[in-house]
Amino acid sequence: MLLYALRRFGLALLILIVAVTVMFLMIRAVPGDPVQIMLGPRATPELQARLTAELALDQPVWKQLVIFYGNLLQGDLGIDVFSGRSVTDIVFQQLPHTLWLILGSIIWSATLGIGLGAYAAAHPNTLIDRVTAAISVSFVAAPAFVVALLSLLVFAVHLQWFPAIGAGEGFWDRLNHLVLPAFAIGLSWVGYIARLVRASMLEVMGESHIRTARAFGINERRVVMVYALRIAILPVVTVIGVGMGFLLSSAVFAEIVFARPGLGKLVIDSITTRNYPIVMGSVLISTGLFVVSTALADLINAWLDPRARTAN
Amino acid sequence: MKIEWTKAPVGRRNFLKGATALGAAAALPMGLGGRAMAAEGGTLRVRSYGDLQSIDPAFSKGVIDEEIHASIYNKLIQYKPGREWDWQMDAAAMIEQGDETHIKFALRDDIGFTNGFGAMTAEDVKFSFERIVADETESPNKPDMGPLSHVEVTGEREGTIVLKEPFAPLWSIALPYITGNIVSKKAWEAAGGKATTDPLAESGPYLRDSWSPKEKTVLKRNPDWKGDAPAWDTIEILPIDDENTAEIAFEAGELDFTRVSLGSVQRYRDGVPNGGTLLEYPSLYYTWLGMNLDHPKLQNKKLRQAIQHAIDVPSVLEAAYFGAVDPSTGIIAPGLAGNRPQSLVPPQADFAKAAELLAESGETNVTLKLDTLNKTTFTTAAQVIQATLAQIGITVEVNVLESGAFWASADNEDLQLVLNRYSMTPDPYYATSWFTTEQVGHWNWERFSNDEYDQIHTSASQLTDQAKRAEMYQRAQDLMEESGAYRFLTHEATPVIHSAGVVPALRPDGLALLRYFGKA
Repeated sequence: MLLYALRRFGLALLILIVAVTVMFLMIRAVPGDPVQIMLGPRATPELQARLTAELALDQPVWKQLVIFYGNLLQGDLGIDVFSGRSVTDIVFQQLPHTLWLILGSIIWSATLGIGLGAYAAAHPNTLIDRVTAAISVSFVAAPAFVVALLSLLVFAVHLQWFPAIGAGEGFWDRLNHLVLPAFAIGLSWVGYIARLVRASMLEVMGESHIRTARAFGINERRVVMVYALRIAILPVVTVIGVGMGFLLSSAVFAEIVFARPGLGKLVIDSITTRNYPIVMGSVLISTGLFVVSTALADLINAWLDPRARTAN
Repeated sequence: MKIEWTKAPVGRRNFLKGATALGAAAALPMGLGGRAMAAEGGTLRVRSYGDLQSIDPAFSKGVIDEEIHASIYNKLIQYKPGREWDWQMDAAAMIEQGDETHIKFALRDDIGFTNGFGAMTAEDVKFSFERIVADETESPNKPDMGPLSHVEVTGEREGTIVLKEPFAPLWSIALPYITGNIVSKKAWEAAGGKATTDPLAESGPYLRDSWSPKEKTVLKRNPDWKGDAPAWDTIEILPIDDENTAEIAFEAGELDFTRVSLGSVQRYRDGVPNGGTLLEYPSLYYTWLGMNLDHPKLQNKKLRQAIQHAIDVPSVLEAAYFGAVDPSTGIIAPGLAGNRPQSLVPPQADFAKAAELLAESGETNVTLKLDTLNKTTFTTAAQVIQATLAQIGITVEVNVLESGAFWASADNEDLQLVLNRYSMTPDPYYATSWFTTEQVGHWNWERFSNDEYDQIHTSASQLTDQAKRAEMYQRAQDLMEESGAYRFLTHEATPVIHSAGVVPALRPDGLALLRYFGKA
């Protein structure tokens, strides 16, 4: 298991380096003079020249990349051009908001999705199964931005149950502010996880060890919840790991629509203003988050199912 | 936070020196009376379209920073809320134009800086203004101060602003706006001359209480403020980029004041939720279709004129701005010196004349590329222009660009037609500065170059005779239009909504002057 974990994290590091390098090259390939865009029309030539030198934009791209990784190894993500603040501070100030949002979405969508899927699998081809299927597919098909706007209009404007914008202050207020955005970006995952769990469960329920358990007279609820679900949940763990990436991208629009702080909004604003240090800092952290979450999902999978370790 | 300072002899005699000062001083209580009476406390929540970038006026990025700076700092003079551009006294007890290059001022004796940095003195004014124009500061806002030479300190609270040459915009964009904010010399020097996002010393009616990046800036009353008490205890400034989100937040009761989208104006004209009110202000922005005079395809003036006459401005505005804005006559907005009552080419298209001009040009099978930003308003406008030019046989390919790529168009030698929009401060000098020969290759994307225009731009800023200035700037816009390189579209608009309990204090272009916001 330890060897497997080391190999998995080595691969994660490699993926991180490739992803960050590609992003580094892509942002430099986008048209437009970053210094001119950053400083605006009225910046003096001296200031433009100084910033160009500070960001090493007068160097060849390969050299800029070497400088970037050199600084990164020393834990230096640079300084924000506009505010003069440390990029590390800025990114880590926004990160908790995005993590809250993603975790909130995953927790509620996985809990409900697994429940719905397991229940439908336990009652296959019944009315309940068909209703659950219809609901799940509807959830998957509902575009998150439509859900976001409708939930804002219904729950924030009309009913005034939840706040419309911001991230709140203090634990309970933050939780209250999390409800609508987490609902909006998590809804389609409920349907997706429910369908996945149902299919996986039905497959597992037909296997010999389940039949054996039933033959031993073990309570049906225990068969479903312990023997079947433990195996059936494996693909869900993997999907949730990969889903972190999708939720990170969904968080971008959620942060805009709900006017929440967060990494996604930070990246969008920084790309628009060609604020390279912030873009790279944010990309590094969000890519790292994605890579680590998928690696963790693989490790949990391997822990739950020893066959996964040998297969890899 | 305790402020200690001694009173300086800014006497009544000094106060009475300037007739301008008298007028402004008389107007001041009228403007603030309502606020003072309504000052009962509470929290005002307003939307800003972006987040704070710098607390240092020398590096202010514009309106977003200025909304905060104007509340926590003082200037000699401030914009006066209302529908017409005017200013009122702020930190100045007296200010007068001695001659064309000298402006005398005396500070009030009751303004001090926080964090123990003492009373505001003329040395602070000198430091604040001179550092803006100093080369070593590298302030992007340096042009606003124009030909400032230096500030002479003649007393503890008296001084004279000395210009190298006359500069009329000093009164309209330098002193009452970004560069006019007075900071504490001692505080800045103690910090090594630089401030980033944390205030070093504040002096305004509000103090910045907290800043959560991308989330909220909170301003609280300055307990040591000796001027007219602001109406609100707390002001929360929420950075919300998306106007639709801001509208929803307002309707949910989470905002008291916000700019709204032009597409929502008609809906709010029919009624603003929660007893709110819609206010419609003109904007200073100017939007136009430009033609690159250096491009081989656009060398023929008759062709350019045909394009001018074939674009139906009302149709563009109806489709792209939902009919909520008026056609413009040039780059200088109504209410400012130099605004033209009408353009040379009427806003309505004249297809017969356009076809006639095209025939005279001898050009056939004309195909042109139109560059525009990837915003719905501009892409819609581009499509209408594409359709109207097609009526006279000109084919237009719309090239939609992301903002970074679009704003790098100065280097694009293949630029042909461009749908553009610039922002503006309340002085015509600011608008004409982008179309001079010197700006070719920078912000003058049409590559328009005209000696008379350049001369007007230089000399009109030195005139104090407003009527003469207006005439000169009108002539400058005539020259632009006569070149055939411009089809002026609109100055857009600033529609805002506010809740029932708020009395907004706005500039004539609809931007908020938060320190003057009152209660209903």
